[in-house]
Amino acid sequence: MESLTVLQAIGFNKTYPGVKALDGVDFDLQYGEVQALVGQNGAGKSTFVEIIAGSIRPDSGQIKIDNNVYPYLDPSKSIELGIQTVHQENQLVEELSIADNIYLFNLPSNKIGLVKESNCTQAANELLHELGIDIPAGKKIKQLTFAEKKLISIAKAFSRKARILILDEPTASLDEKGKKILFDIIRRYTQKGLSVIYISHNIHEIFEISDRVTVFKDGKKVSTQPIKEISLNDIVRQMIGRSTTNLYSREKGKFQSAEAGILEVIDYHREGVIEHVSFQVKAGEIFGIGGLVGAGRTELIRMIFGLDQKDSGKLIYRGKEITPTNPNDAIKKGIGYLTEDRKDSGLIMMRPIFENISLVKLAKEANRMLNLAIERNETQFISEQLNIKTPSISQLVLNLSGGNQQKVVLAKWLFAGAEILLFDEPTVGIDVGAKSEIYKLIDNLAAQGKIIILISSDNPELIAVCDRVGIMRNGQLITVLEGNDITEENILRYSMGVNEKD
Amino acid sequence: MIKTNLNSRKIIGRNLNQSIILVLLIIVISLFATLINPRFIRVTNLINIFQQISVLGIIASGIGMLLISGEFDISVGSQVSLIGMILAMIIQKVGGLPEGSNPNGFNSSSIPLAIVVSCLVGIVLGFINGTTVIKSRAASFIITLGFSSIYKGLALLLSGGASFMLFGKFETVGRGRIMNYIPIAILFFIGVVVISHIILSYSKYGRYLYAIGGNKKAAYVSGINTDRMTLTAYVMVGLLNAVAALILISRVGSALATTGDAYTLDALAAVVVGGVAITGGEGSALSIFLGVVLIGLIGNALVIMNVNPYLRDVVIGLIIITAVTISRITSRRR
Repeated sequence: MESLTVLQAIGFNKTYPGVKALDGVDFDLQYGEVQALVGQNGAGKSTFVEIIAGSIRPDSGQIKIDNNVYPYLDPSKSIELGIQTVHQENQLVEELSIADNIYLFNLPSNKIGLVKESNCTQAANELLHELGIDIPAGKKIKQLTFAEKKLISIAKAFSRKARILILDEPTASLDEKGKKILFDIIRRYTQKGLSVIYISHNIHEIFEISDRVTVFKDGKKVSTQPIKEISLNDIVRQMIGRSTTNLYSREKGKFQSAEAGILEVIDYHREGVIEHVSFQVKAGEIFGIGGLVGAGRTELIRMIFGLDQKDSGKLIYRGKEITPTNPNDAIKKGIGYLTEDRKDSGLIMMRPIFENISLVKLAKEANRMLNLAIERNETQFISEQLNIKTPSISQLVLNLSGGNQQKVVLAKWLFAGAEILLFDEPTVGIDVGAKSEIYKLIDNLAAQGKIIILISSDNPELIAVCDRVGIMRNGQLITVLEGNDITEENILRYSMGVNEKD
Repeated sequence: MIKTNLNSRKIIGRNLNQSIILVLLIIVISLFATLINPRFIRVTNLINIFQQISVLGIIASGIGMLLISGEFDISVGSQVSLIGMILAMIIQKVGGLPEGSNPNGFNSSSIPLAIVVSCLVGIVLGFINGTTVIKSRAASFIITLGFSSIYKGLALLLSGGASFMLFGKFETVGRGRIMNYIPIAILFFIGVVVISHIILSYSKYGRYLYAIGGNKKAAYVSGINTDRMTLTAYVMVGLLNAVAALILISRVGSALATTGDAYTLDALAAVVVGGVAITGGEGSALSIFLGVVLIGLIGNALVIMNVNPYLRDVVIGLIIITAVTISRITSRRR
């Protein structure tokens, strides 16, 4: 078949504060082709497809569809051009039926604008039958399994006469049967001319379904190659690329001491979320946890801190069980948790810096009244120690830069004197200077003999900062890398479940 | 960097600014009222105003602290009605009123009994409200709207629609004056304002209320038992409503099932005008106090200026809308 370009992206650029999300990306999609997009977390895949779907505007660049050139698309234009996206998250209305969901934005109505339910259900049933999805369209979404919901989302995309289908991690919530149905649909419709952009972390299935594969790395396109001409290992290598210059590095294991105390994390488990995870961390050690987004890292840390329910799991420190039952209990037992999203659960934005810093310490101590003078002095001291850049500690946290906000969260836990520190993505969205300051602070904490568990999706960060790195995938702790084995390639292989011999 | 600094100075000053605006408004209204009727500025009238707003002030302090923690209680008016009804019934039935209906004369121990029971009922109502809000995880506005109807209904059921007279047996709290000059009610009002100022500015509990109102998730992760703090705030509201009911019933001298109803709107108005963010996390005892004074002043000034007193509700409504709009606009500028 003669190839024909249906979509072309020319020089996409998109910059967010502190990050170049897309850097001069060119891309083309052929008629009837399945093209896979792969890359590490934050490589720019999502930003790229969101521009095509019209939910983000590029800073510069052009989109060419059917010889028409657009500077950007908006969502309705994108749909009008036949572009449909199936998002990773479920975007269906739980209370409505399958049929209503499928035709939510173009319900078949009669002359006076009323919806005739039976027409709608009938049309939906026909569509589902045509796609080979065997679920009655009258069912409500909330009665469906995750896999079934995903199939309905896909069916919904087909109801709008899609020419270009964007699938973002479609198999993440699909079982084997669902995956077979999806691949069958893709194969049948691409023969009729559908083009598919297929984002997946599962490299194995890319070889099953795609015609070409495009690798993204740090906002740039590394390559686009026919799948037949590339090996699994080539793809992994391209995803890593040449390692970015390390801003920071530290000697491994220099402060750790088993005599000073060991934290034992024993058999943490919650059905379907975390699979029997156990590991140990020595005093003065920085234990990293790597893995793909959704691997269960945050869930594990939340369970350890006593925030989420668990089926089993014990925490032992210096031979004594300290398993916390709630955050207050965790804090009293000397555990601190720097959450992934500082705006969402780390800071009280509308309150001053000093109130934020002293909050955990207040909750830890028994007295009822505040000692404002001492509080001011002490929070002032710690804010200077951490080099929080502000004219005054009475300043609202809202007014600080991301890096300085993160230092306030850190100050809060240090001020409370936590012995065991759980860091979840401590440097996300902060500038390079603040990043290296935070690395130094973490190193200092290790020097003081604290126990540190650090989750990061930034692999060079894990390599630079951590003494050992555990890798999680599908809720399991797959392996723990030590010493020279902590390489970007190893982290990525284990995160994605790729063997050396593949 | 320079831009952020300028911006932030504006925000730091915001609370103070709001208080200054309130004080200015109060002065302007007072001047206006005095020009039209010089009796307004007389000390007796000013004391009179403060006596009239004591009940409102006590209720508003309670829901103000609660709103700082991010929760509503719009059943306060009905709570005051119900507690007031129970108070009056105990004094009447146990005390033996009207006099002569009981051969042994008026049983004066009914009064301390009625006071204690009223306070207990206030605490229980607060506890019920708080527990339901926490357990249901539904919007407190709606939950307490439901309770407002329940308490109002209970007050009606208890009274059978009748009014309970106290025949001058319970006048001290609401009408009594120290040295024949300063109304006791004012002392209660000022006392509550001072205590809420101490709670909000100098106690850990107050700090937690701001934290929970500002970001509940962050407060919980920081080790604050958010549910217990919220519950305590509701109980505090209930207790303050009981105190308010004591003063109100004492001043009026009788209880009806609807005696306290109007206070819900006025108290909310005072709190919102006083600059407590309806999303929680911001506000102070002083600004709530100024909000109460402003709302109280408007009622008095309209009467003194010989304007149709029914206009009062219209004016208060306009003030609420203006206050919220201004605070929205200033926060959007951030």
